[in-house]
This record gives sequence, C-alpha cells and structure tokens, in this order.
Amino acid sequence: MLLAQIIVNGVLLGGLYGLMALGMALVWGVLNIVNLAHGAFVMLGGYIVYYLFTTLGIDPLAALPIAMALMFAFGYLLQYVVLNQIIRSAMLNTLLITFGLDVVLTYLAQLGFSADFRTIAPSYAGANFGLLGITVPVAPLAAFAIAWLLAGLTWLLLNRLPLGRAIRATAQNLVAARLYGVNPRRLYAVTFGIGAALAGASGGLYGMISHLSPYVGAPLTAKAFVIAVIGGLHNPFAVVASGLIIGIAESLAALYVGPTYANVISFGLLVLILVLRPSRALRAA
Amino acid sequence: MNAQVTPLLEISRLNGGYGAVPVLFGVDLVIHPGEIVALVGNNGAGKTTLLRAISRVITASGGMKFDGEDLLPLTPEQVFARRLVQVPEGRQLFGRMTVEENLLMGANRRGNRAAIARSFDWVYGLLPKLAERRRQLAGNMSGGEQQMCAIARALMAEPRLLMIDEMSLGLAPIIVDQLLAILDTIRKQSVAIFLVEQDVFAAFSVADRGYVMETGRIVQTGTAQELSNDESVRAAYLGAEAGA
Ligand SMILES: Nc1ncnc2c1ncn2[C@@H]1O[C@H](COP(=O)(O)OP(=O)(O)OP(=O)(O)O)[C@@H](O)[C@H]1O
Ligand SMILES: [Mg+2]
Repeated sequence: MLLAQIIVNGVLLGGLYGLMALGMALVWGVLNIVNLAHGAFVMLGGYIVYYLFTTLGIDPLAALPIAMALMFAFGYLLQYVVLNQIIRSAMLNTLLITFGLDVVLTYLAQLGFSADFRTIAPSYAGANFGLLGITVPVAPLAAFAIAWLLAGLTWLLLNRLPLGRAIRATAQNLVAARLYGVNPRRLYAVTFGIGAALAGASGGLYGMISHLSPYVGAPLTAKAFVIAVIGGLHNPFAVVASGLIIGIAESLAALYVGPTYANVISFGLLVLILVLRPSRALRAA
Repeated sequence: MNAQVTPLLEISRLNGGYGAVPVLFGVDLVIHPGEIVALVGNNGAGKTTLLRAISRVITASGGMKFDGEDLLPLTPEQVFARRLVQVPEGRQLFGRMTVEENLLMGANRRGNRAAIARSFDWVYGLLPKLAERRRQLAGNMSGGEQQMCAIARALMAEPRLLMIDEMSLGLAPIIVDQLLAILDTIRKQSVAIFLVEQDVFAAFSVADRGYVMETGRIVQTGTAQELSNDESVRAAYLGAEAGA
C-alpha cells in the first residue's frame, strides 16, 4: 500500500512537472531557444498567485488565469523587444542571455519578495480524501488535472486553430512561413508569451503543493529540460506524460534512498542525457 | 501592344543583394496581367535573388511597383497579402504538416470560409492527385507531388501574380509537362505567371515573353519565340536540346 501511495503521489506531482516542461518544450521547438530562465518564470507565476491570494484574497485557482495573462504579457514583450534581436544567432548566445535573465529575475525576486519561503495556503491546501485505502491530496490532484487540461488546450491551439498552424509552420520552415504571410517577430512573441503563461500557471500550482522562494527556479529549469528531452517538443501530451516518469522516479527515490535525493534524479538524468545523447539534447529534439 | 495596359509588375533599375554583397544590377523587367513571363539564366545569375527582392525578403533599391503600388516599403507579409505569391526554390513545404494543412497556410491571410472552400475545389480540380493525398504528410510525398503541393499552396492565396522558382528541378520530363499544362490553364483564369527556370526549353514552351539574366543583369529580352530562335541564346542555353 505504501508503494501504491508513493506512486500516486509521484503521478500527481509529475503532472505538474510536465506542465512546467510544456512551456519550455513549446518555446524550444518553435524558437529554438532553450530558455534557462523558464524556472524563474515558474517562480514569478507562483509569486503572482501568492500575492493575489494574500493581498486581494483571490482564490489561487481563480488567480491562475490572471497569472497566466500577466506572464503572457511579460513573455510577449520580452521576446518582442529583447530576444528577437538575438534569435537567429548561435544557440550559445541564447543560452547566455536566458541564463543572465535567470540571474536577474532571481535577484529581483529576492529584492522584491525577500528570501523567505512562502506557501500558497487556501483552506483546501491540506485537504485529502481516501480512495481504495490510498490518501489522495486535493491540491496535487487539482494541479494534475489542470496540467492535463492545459496540455489539451495547447494541443487544440496547435492542431486546430489557425494561430497554432502558423506556429507549427514557422517551426518547420521559417523561409516558407515568411513568404506565406507570417510575421515571425510577432509569432515568436506570441509563442514565447504562451510558454511564459504555461510556466506561470505551473508556478501558482507549485506554490500550493510545495513552497516558493526566489531560488526555486534553477532546479525546476533542469527538471523541465530533462522532461522536454524525454517527451520531445511536438506533442503536449507526451511532454506531460514524461513529467509523470520524473515524478514517479523522484517519489521512489525519496522513499528508498531518502527525501533529500529527490532532486538527484532529474540532475542525474540531465547529466546522463548530456553524456549519452548530447546531439539529441541540443538539436531541437 | 500592351502599352495601354497598366503593368502588373514593373521593375526598373533594381539593385539588390545580401547585406553588403550586391547581386542584382539595374534590373528592368515588366509583367502584364495574364502573361507568362520566363526568366532564364545560369546557376548563380541572381534569379532567386530577384524573387527574394520582389517578395521583400532581402534589401533592394530602385523601382518596383505591383499594380501601381510601390513594393519597396512593404514587408513580406504585406506583399503576400497583395496576392503576389512565390513558390520558392526547393518547394519549402511544411514537411510535417498534411497536404491540406499546407494548402490552408496558403489561405493564411484570408478570412472568408466560403471563398477558401471554393479555392480548395479549384485547386483540387486542377491537381486531383493532391485531393487523394490530402491527409498525407507533405514531406513523405514524391518530388512531383511535393511540387504540385507547393504550387497548390500558392494558388490557395488566389494569386494575381504567381512566381515559381525552378519548378522543373529534379522532376521527370513527363511531370514537368503536366505542370506546364496546369500553368497554362491557370493563366487562362487570369493569373499572371513569372516562371524562373534553368530548363529554358520547358520555360519557353509556355511563356509569352522571356528575359535572360547573367551575373545579376538582364542581358536579353523578347518574345519566347524570338529568344528560342536567337543564336546566342541557343548557343548558351539551348545547346544540349538543339544537339539532341
Ligand atoms: N543567402 C545568400 N547570402 C549571400 N549570397 C547569396 C545568398 N544566396 C545567394 N547568394 C549569391 O547570390 C548570387 C545569385 O544567387 P541566386 O541564388 O540568386 O542565383 P540563381 O540564378 O537563382 O541560381 P540557381 O539557378 O542556381 O538557382 C550567387 O553568387 C550566390 O552565391
Ligand atoms: Mg535559384
């Protein structure tokens, strides 16, 4: 029963990890930018939801769309004004820039929000119910459901709407997309905005089931990177499903090796991927 | 004979190139409504560069008007919205999208669903093979089918001027003939065509007029008939066919 419980915990947490990776995979696949500040975007989304809840009393789940809208605007502007300048340069440049961005955002968060740990704790945060002898925690279950919901919406956008078609077309053939009425600058900004919005949503959920600090970003970036490499960059459902693998692996590691080893899993996989499949990892997978 | 008709595309003393590297030098060229005009020239003459300049993908200076409107200040998407559409060299399909999705990208800037449905009927009527292949990934088709798909995608934009770069490249002669016949049909439906070709023989078989480009300059122009009979053109471009 303990094992079943651990796996349920891992699955629920893994859905959220998958959501974190979704935005990173989208941006990577379309813009060929591995956004090292992605985890910092998650962190910012978490603080937005935290402050909407603690100062305005907005329920965290209701605050998610607001955080997504704000993060979309942030991502859109960042891409349109800054990142578009370097998008066609070598990948090393985009890595350096987004790494710098991560450092800046972490520092600003420390100034603005202090280094204290914060938890988004609505009344239902600690609630759970029993099912077949397993305890199902409500907040992670909600995070899991929302992760799949957003993966579904992302899939619909990409495969059923003209905007998504233009996004995929641009990812596949920039030359042709430009000749067929796509403005890449704007399209890249929209895509980056969507990636940031997805990060923002995952941050709000993360703040409910774990805790926020200005420093949570970097490990989450690493996790999202690993999940994106495993899940590929083209299918939102595959990305979230890959998140489950990491979530389960982490939970099992915490049980059998010790809770402090949870992060070792994703970093270990990261190193393994970079050693075994560096070309796959850095080509748009 | 076309003196009274406003030219559809009018290029005068056009220079252009890649960054600091000039490729085009004082190009003059005119295309009238309903015409098929061929542009021929050897590898590296600057034909593709001219199409890129017209589609406003690269910098250019000089005169360039489409239906009386100055093209120079426009962006590629604005040129596309004017229904001046290019089938680029190498087809450049969206390889992991279906044929139908590729065609929908051609209708990217159009909102009227009924009109788009009519375009689908028109295009699938011209190229029935594509209708069979609509759900197939464009990247998995044969070279000839891919070229059909590339032309069909452009037709979905309801072009007023269709520019096709190296349509015949890598295709069997029988496929080239089929495609040329389709171009002739399209032209009768008042789409002007600018055909950029290394296969001079094929190009002049359907074109009304032609231009010869060498190292970024137009060196000769005339009707397709005149150019096909011209000694220097025959020697330079039709040698193989004439001897065969
Ligand atoms: N992206 C580019 N950057 C710099 N120079 C280029 C670029 N593309 C083409 N050129 C140069 O411009 C010149 C003209 O090339 P272009 O592709 O226009 O020739 P073309 O007539 O289309 O030849 P082909 O028949 O082989 O397609 C060549 O000297 C080529 O090297
Ligand atoms: Mg060329």
